[in-house]
Amino acid sequence: MASLFTPRRIVMVGALLMLAVVVGGSGVLAQEGGVLRVGMTAPTVLDPAQHSNDPETALNRAIYDYLVEVLPDATIGANLATAWTISDDGLTYTFTLRDDVTFHDGSAFSSADVVYTFNRLKEVESPAISLTGDFEVSAPDATTVVFTLPAVNADFLYGVAARQALIIKDGETEPNVLGEGDMTFAHFNGTGPFILTQFDPGARAVLTANANYWGGAPALAGLEFVYIDDTVAQVDALLSGEVDYIFKVPIAQTDRIEAADGVSVLQTATSQHPVIRLRTDEGFAGADVRVRQAFKYATDREQLNELLLQGRGTVGNNDPIAPVFSFFFDETVENQTYDPARACELLEEAGIGTYEGTLYAPDAFEYADLAAVLQQQWAAACINVDIQVVPEGVYYDFSNPNNYFEVELGITGWGDRPSPQILLRQAYIEAGIETGFNESRFVDPELEALVVQASQTTNDEERAAIYAQVSQIFLERGPIIIPYFAPLFGGVSDNVQGLTMPPFPGLTDFRTVSISG
Amino acid sequence: MVLQNTLSLLRQLTRRPQSLIGMVIVGVFILLAVFGSEIAPYRFDELIRGAARTPPSELYLFGTDTLGRDVFSRVLWGARDIIVLPTITTVLSVIFGTAIGLLIGYYGGVLDDVISRIMDSLLAIPALILALVMLGTIGPSPVGIIIVIVLLYTPIVARVVRSAALNVRSTGYIEAAKLRGESTLYILFREILPGVLPALIVEAALRFSYAIFLTASLGFLGLGVQPPSPDWGRMVNEARNSYAQTPWALWFPSAAIALLIIGVNLLSDGLRRIFRYEGGLG
Repeated sequence: MASLFTPRRIVMVGALLMLAVVVGGSGVLAQEGGVLRVGMTAPTVLDPAQHSNDPETALNRAIYDYLVEVLPDATIGANLATAWTISDDGLTYTFTLRDDVTFHDGSAFSSADVVYTFNRLKEVESPAISLTGDFEVSAPDATTVVFTLPAVNADFLYGVAARQALIIKDGETEPNVLGEGDMTFAHFNGTGPFILTQFDPGARAVLTANANYWGGAPALAGLEFVYIDDTVAQVDALLSGEVDYIFKVPIAQTDRIEAADGVSVLQTATSQHPVIRLRTDEGFAGADVRVRQAFKYATDREQLNELLLQGRGTVGNNDPIAPVFSFFFDETVENQTYDPARACELLEEAGIGTYEGTLYAPDAFEYADLAAVLQQQWAAACINVDIQVVPEGVYYDFSNPNNYFEVELGITGWGDRPSPQILLRQAYIEAGIETGFNESRFVDPELEALVVQASQTTNDEERAAIYAQVSQIFLERGPIIIPYFAPLFGGVSDNVQGLTMPPFPGLTDFRTVSISG
Repeated sequence: MVLQNTLSLLRQLTRRPQSLIGMVIVGVFILLAVFGSEIAPYRFDELIRGAARTPPSELYLFGTDTLGRDVFSRVLWGARDIIVLPTITTVLSVIFGTAIGLLIGYYGGVLDDVISRIMDSLLAIPALILALVMLGTIGPSPVGIIIVIVLLYTPIVARVVRSAALNVRSTGYIEAAKLRGESTLYILFREILPGVLPALIVEAALRFSYAIFLTASLGFLGLGVQPPSPDWGRMVNEARNSYAQTPWALWFPSAAIALLIIGVNLLSDGLRRIFRYEGGLG
């Protein structure tokens, strides 16, 4: 042991260490050409038409473009289409395309690619179809695409801008399938701002800027998506400088980012929310409106926001129209305040006395804690529940007899949607029962009519008036409690400029982002 | 007779300092399991208004968690589950394992071959993964945990008992009992069982410590006792995400699990020395 520390050895070790620092340091310098490293969980479904989560969208959005896209403020912006017109009857949408766009393989982009893409979405039953509804698509010339709808759909543009509606090359049957040798990335052929150059499933994806991008080459030299599944480890990676940007940071981890130098917390309001819902069909407690109302009076939403989101969420009404939908949100609606005595009265009137049951929740986000706090609030309001917190995969699995759709009383998580209409159409109309979205089996003829009316109303003011009526229905007889709309947190290195984290962070626009040394 | 043996066993244990420490630790935790809920200043699920994320103080010895629940009270309440569940699973596995082990050890032959192979195949699957799959299917509940752990540990106990039974089967006193015309049950329980008892006691102690660990692990993975019950494993998992804000909510349940397992292991180590038994399976 003693010989290990002879002066000569110390000098040698010191020299080696210095060499390592120089070599390692130059490695860091080499990256300063402007490669943004983004930490996220690993993507699994790569097919543009079928993918769903943030890392999958992030990879796809970097490689491909949309016809039109959802901007961070939930409005629709131009992308491969420069302009669009809607016919007076609302049934024909005509898009004018850019004529200066090429795919990564050098071939020119034209209307045929758009037609192929949208027909393929229908063919593979992409989730985008639930937003577009039925349509026919045709291309009168190389720079024009026409969609014809069988019925008015005021949210059709959100369907055209759906996350899965990325424009692929005409005739591409295997988009995003890894090939062999020189052809490894041949099927990752988009028009987008970045070109995929390396992909190690579960580890990382490396992309370089597309110098021929129609919107001008991105400010960044490249992107590197580093796949880290554990959210705490993602924060560690940001703090240690291993990555420059992370999103979906758990609220409890934001303090660590705030306390550290050189990194900052990002916060974006979203329409993401938990729904606490009662089944309203025959034989379930929620069939009686008084029971639904009792649960609302038994719930202190302000306290839930305070305890679970440290007061940083937004308390809305007990309906899916979130405050982030700006003028669609009606702040004059007076919701039930916490009133345990009133809840007890209502349950008494309904002939139940004390509600005994089980509250089911998925083991995701803060929902286990949410269930624990609800149990306490409700205990003071004649509602006694046991809690069953089930792993997310089991909770949403139909082979489990107590899955999210079957149980009488449950919590489900609803991700951000750019428009309230999408939520209403999925979860609160009769057709939603068959698709597994209308868990409460809430069928209300008046609401049904309003939802149809809203879908045919393109005037925002008229639509806001319809949504105000919708809020009123939920207030009076809705089967759901929405305690808050959760904000989205992220973390970013202070070297990064021009980055905006949208409510769906997989759609972060990297084209305008730059990074300094 | 039994009382005398137990007393002499305890006396032997106190002679070795490590075993004495183990006994004290386990003893304290058993007391907590019985009286913990009485001593605790708050209920385990009580949300103290305006006290969320308070560091340890005179008022809240171990601080409060992100929802404002007293961590000290939760640890105390949680002692019951972490002791009771593994105790039940250990007792059941030992009963079933002993019965099976004695039978196949004594009779041998085809019966032994068939049952041993079935048990071997059960043992070949990693315990935690099997537990995850089974609890994922039947849904997490205390009864589910008991069923799963008993199913996992019975073959291990049976194997130990079987090999011990094989050793005594061919000894003279068994032959003598057979010649006396004793019934099989008598031979199994009065002649063979005492011979394998030392191995069994050590094995039971070992199973107990593994059962604690497995119960806590399942709790950590969200497949244990349901919230808001203060399962130590679940508490560690819940506190893990908010470690930056409420580190104490992570420290104390973790320390409690570690201390209890150390105590049980010291104790089972002491037992092993007394019986000079060297067997045991991971």
